Amino acid sequence: MAEPDVVHSIEFTLNGERHEATVSSRQLLVFFIRDVLGLKGTHIGCDTGSCGACSVIVDGKLIKSCMMLAPQADGTEIETVEGIAQNGELSVVQRAFHEEHGLQCGYCTPGLVMAATFLLRRNPDPTEEEIRRAIRGNICRCTGYVNIINSIQRAAGADSREAA
Amino acid sequence: MLLEKVAYARPDTVAGALQALASSDGAAPLAGGQSLVNVLKHRVASLDLLVDISRLDELRGVSSGADGSLEIGACVTYDELDHSEQVRSAQPLLADVAGHIEDQQIRDRGTIGGNCCLSDPTNNLPPLLVALGATMVVQSAAGQRDVAAEDFFHGYFSTAVGEGELLRCVRIPPLSAGSGAGYSTIAVGADSKAIARAAAVVRGNGTIDDARVVLACVAPIPTRHAGMESALRGASMSAESARTAAHEIGAETQPFGDAHGSADYRREMARVVAERAVMQAIADGGGDRG
Amino acid sequence: MTTSASGTDTLPAPLAESATAPAETELRTGSVGISVPRREDRRLLQGQGEFADDVWMHRQGYAQFVRSPHGHARIVSLDPRPALALEGVYAVLTGEEAKEMCQVPFFQIAPEPASRIEEYPLAVDKVRYHGDAVAVVLAETREIARDAADLVDVQYEPLPAVLDTVGAADPDAPLLHEQVGTNVAWHGNYDWGDIDWALENADHVVELDRLHFHRFSSTPLECNAAVVHWDQGTDTIRVSSNNQMPMFASMVVGPTIGVASNRLMFSSQDIGGAFGIKIGSYPQIAALALLSRKAGRPAKWTEYRTEHMLSAGHGNERVFLDTKVAVMKDGTILGFKTRAFDDAGAYLHYEPLGAVIWSQVCCGCYRLKHIQVDYTETMTNKCPTVPNRGYSRLQHLWLIERIVDVVAHELGFDPVELRKRNYVGPDDYPYETPNGCVYDSGDLPRSLDMALELLDAEGWRARQRELEHGSGKRIGIGIGSTLDSGTNNFGQARIINPDLPFSGNGEAAYVKLDLYGEVTVNLGTTPQGQSHETTAAQVVADVLGMPPDQVHVTAGFNQQQNTYVAFSGTYASQFAVTGLGAAKGAAEKLRAEIVEIGAFALGAQPGEIEVRDGACIVAGDEERMIPFIGIANMIYANNAVLPGELRDRISLNCRHVYVPPFEVPDPESKTGNLTLTYASQIHACVVELDEHTGEVAILDYVAVDDCGTRINPKIVEGQVHGATMLGIGAALYEAFEYDDEGQLQQASFYDYHAITALDAPHVKTGEIESPSPFTPNGAKGMGEGGGAPLHAICSAIQDALGPKDAIVSDSHNPWERVWRLIHSGERGEPRGVRVSGGSAAAGDSGR
Repeated sequence: MAEPDVVHSIEFTLNGERHEATVSSRQLLVFFIRDVLGLKGTHIGCDTGSCGACSVIVDGKLIKSCMMLAPQADGTEIETVEGIAQNGELSVVQRAFHEEHGLQCGYCTPGLVMAATFLLRRNPDPTEEEIRRAIRGNICRCTGYVNIINSIQRAAGADSREAA
Repeated sequence: MLLEKVAYARPDTVAGALQALASSDGAAPLAGGQSLVNVLKHRVASLDLLVDISRLDELRGVSSGADGSLEIGACVTYDELDHSEQVRSAQPLLADVAGHIEDQQIRDRGTIGGNCCLSDPTNNLPPLLVALGATMVVQSAAGQRDVAAEDFFHGYFSTAVGEGELLRCVRIPPLSAGSGAGYSTIAVGADSKAIARAAAVVRGNGTIDDARVVLACVAPIPTRHAGMESALRGASMSAESARTAAHEIGAETQPFGDAHGSADYRREMARVVAERAVMQAIADGGGDRG
Repeated sequence: MTTSASGTDTLPAPLAESATAPAETELRTGSVGISVPRREDRRLLQGQGEFADDVWMHRQGYAQFVRSPHGHARIVSLDPRPALALEGVYAVLTGEEAKEMCQVPFFQIAPEPASRIEEYPLAVDKVRYHGDAVAVVLAETREIARDAADLVDVQYEPLPAVLDTVGAADPDAPLLHEQVGTNVAWHGNYDWGDIDWALENADHVVELDRLHFHRFSSTPLECNAAVVHWDQGTDTIRVSSNNQMPMFASMVVGPTIGVASNRLMFSSQDIGGAFGIKIGSYPQIAALALLSRKAGRPAKWTEYRTEHMLSAGHGNERVFLDTKVAVMKDGTILGFKTRAFDDAGAYLHYEPLGAVIWSQVCCGCYRLKHIQVDYTETMTNKCPTVPNRGYSRLQHLWLIERIVDVVAHELGFDPVELRKRNYVGPDDYPYETPNGCVYDSGDLPRSLDMALELLDAEGWRARQRELEHGSGKRIGIGIGSTLDSGTNNFGQARIINPDLPFSGNGEAAYVKLDLYGEVTVNLGTTPQGQSHETTAAQVVADVLGMPPDQVHVTAGFNQQQNTYVAFSGTYASQFAVTGLGAAKGAAEKLRAEIVEIGAFALGAQPGEIEVRDGACIVAGDEERMIPFIGIANMIYANNAVLPGELRDRISLNCRHVYVPPFEVPDPESKTGNLTLTYASQIHACVVELDEHTGEVAILDYVAVDDCGTRINPKIVEGQVHGATMLGIGAALYEAFEYDDEGQLQQASFYDYHAITALDAPHVKTGEIESPSPFTPNGAKGMGEGGGAPLHAICSAIQDALGPKDAIVSDSHNPWERVWRLIHSGERGEPRGVRVSGGSAAAGDSGR
């Protein structure tokens, strides 16, 4: 007879809202986000923490949610792609991806939106090399990265125009 | 992809963590998880209890001495190493190496402790720490003990940290006057898994007084090459010396072969990276290190 | 890029900037030709896409396959009971049970004897590759299913593994499928012209011992996934998956599991890349259907990356032995002969169609007249081959580019001049190839010139010459010419097996006015990033004279509501022709119906009616107009106002199947018109080799494409970028290799290095538009690309090697291989090439 999974109570903030939940100790954060919280925007593309499709921001840091356990989310602030647009208004990063054709199938896109959002918070005026380094953890098989880099450069430029 | 059943605990103190670790054979520390979670996903090892130490403040600090020595908590992340002014000032090469480990997401969680304790021959920090003569501070319920980095790594995923223990911090002495450090990697792709790697520290002034040359990827653990070190001592601080000494790496070096490189290629590349690491150390030592 | 006063860019992106003057293209009205921004983006950017793993069904169980750890083994015993004993496990399906539940094994494309292969949804008696599925578990949670899979007790008796593509054909090799009696899935000799005559009369014969095109995959970021429900109530099977060729899947799965095609309901919405690999998921879907039936619940399957690498499907691996090339002293290449061995893996899933598909481009970009290919397809203990971006043509085009590159290198021809001398010329179109294919249009010499100019090839040559000996670096400049043949004639399957009742091609669409006059488009395609919603809207909008954002294209595919033909799906570089051809045809039919109703309503003649901005308007009399809502009203809700003749005939629901003008090819001579369109890509690149390590850095990269009319230039350019990067990845970083025991060495992204943004070079693009005379809109399919990076990088590495060094003979060139090539000359290793017949041509070698 199988032992039941060990569970933990956790509380966390998700896209600005406070939540409480009970999680199994062995559940990965990405499954918690997708299957339990029902947010399907965070994707799974691999099983070695290589592809970045599961990228979210936790306590202000860009992380791969498949490399974190759900109980480790206790006491944290989590941002997923669903929280990026505000009241249906796409963010500067999202608009830039749209304008530069920075997505094709869209599967890597949420992870890249998070990675680009994180980068520009930290480094509002990145060089091309810095952009490539910043998204090295996000694999895209459709775009060849060319328009993704163009998108992030456009977002950085738009950001600086808005700030000016 | 899906983990086996495992329990999870996040004690508030190091003492609590040690107690939890001692409570079972199958307990292990969980820091950033960037190595351990993959191990668990692929069910390569079975654990009963993951003891989350990633938020213990005692393990997360960076402090430096006036002499340029560093003490880095085991749970300091690669990104923190990259951006720490203290690390960059005292050991810029360490900051650079940490800042080029894989990708931003891994650097935001992966820790120096995890990189050392989940000992894999392709890991970035162990060979550098051995070259720098670091001291690994192991914490148990009984107290702390120092283990020289070159004695710390025992085999695949096996280190001097025993059951019921954890790595507390890494102490790195300052580079002595006339010393420089170097590091060279041949990897599958940019900032990716190493095929060959070497780290070196060279001290001298015109002539090489001392050299530490550490090869990674040629054995389960980072390994100093005594023959090359010996050939460097007394030689001139020059590229020629580096090249000649690298020829000491010969048939005694028996790397594994896999899809990314045959044993023969890895041996040849060990010479190349060792030479380059030494050359970089020589160039790096050119400045005043006080 | 324009900027509005508010400081944000809000206008659609302008046309892709390029080095070419667009003046050659026709003046277009409407939105075709404009880089209209994508409507797919809004949901995808916000994580609101509906991908296969996002689908959830009431009462579902989670499925986990149990897979063989061995490359080749007998299944001695399989006991599911320990798994069934785990709480939360709903059911386990074994291979024996699956076979019992099936009517017949999977349909085989191959003729005798390979048609005797008995493959069921799960392995029975034997496993034939590392990852072959032997059972599937259904459980309450993902974790329980995974745990239970480990508990299924399978005992194996390992057998010797057959891993050599060529050696597998030996009569003494261990057999994968005993009832077939051989590992040869197919063999045929393609022989056009007279190569023996050519070799005898040529001034030079260049012989290449062995060329190897490696096994890799485009590895879409989203793995396979499905929720399959055998609904006992309606006795239908709902398959919500990301299979990209659902009608092909239906036609194979249906007869095997005993379900009529109108009771198999495939649906998908967003697919996270496919590149051909997701054609191969039908066996898993069949297994899930049987599992669902057994358990009485929907079966939800998520394939994780390791499972995908092991079992989803790999691209073709091909070996070319004893290639002989006939060359005249002026550089004219008469032709070549070769012995090709293609590796189909352990089961034939779509193979051996690859054994004929390469012949769509039998002479590549060149006017070769004499071609002989002795083609053997073998089965080995490796993952089954599935179509992978560039399917089967890629391998052959690489062979031809290696031939041209090596001929230039060995005989001292300038690589640019040699190519131009042999290219199909701009005035040769339509050009009939030795096997009856017709190249529709193009301008290869101009494409090459453009590529070299964008690269600044002359500048790089100078830098190459200036590079010091002893610097430890070498620079090489390479060219890769390729074709992307699109819209294929499925009749070529008869060249493989004359009994196959397949021919032609087609795609279906319907365009309608909905209840309130909304223009709605519905396609038989399954887009995975190719922007069908946007481009179909553009085409339909132009026909109906309205802005594209007022045309609604249904997202995704649903067999219950979409229209389709057997060829429906998205694959093989054809959407721009077939899908958009169908959309255009349906829109034109709808327009004609709208005009008739509008004419009646406005009391005018049909010839006086203009259709624009969502209304019918009498020409020259703007007041006399009726909007689409009024047109729709008369058909849907108000039909008594219409005369009987109109009412009986007009539905405002117009279906069109675009059918390309094909005939059935001739299996005897193996000739025929096998593909409708031929896009081209000419790539040029500069590499820097590290002599000490073999590391390759790409210093400069240019891709020039010609795909005829560009419906949406930015989308086309995006496809070029993507194909380029996958090609570069395959050339330098990505390979599937098996060890001597048949264990896959790159079974996850930890070991299979998918190219990252930090590896990726900057890519410059240019384009030419040579409209196809054969297609409704002048466009050509172009998504696959043709693998030019593999050709170009091999060519560039070759250019950096010395005259005593070996030839680049493998499509995959990671650092160790390049290092060995660099030092092959000094080590006196065999070069792999021989030249006979007279002295090398005089003339500028370009070096």
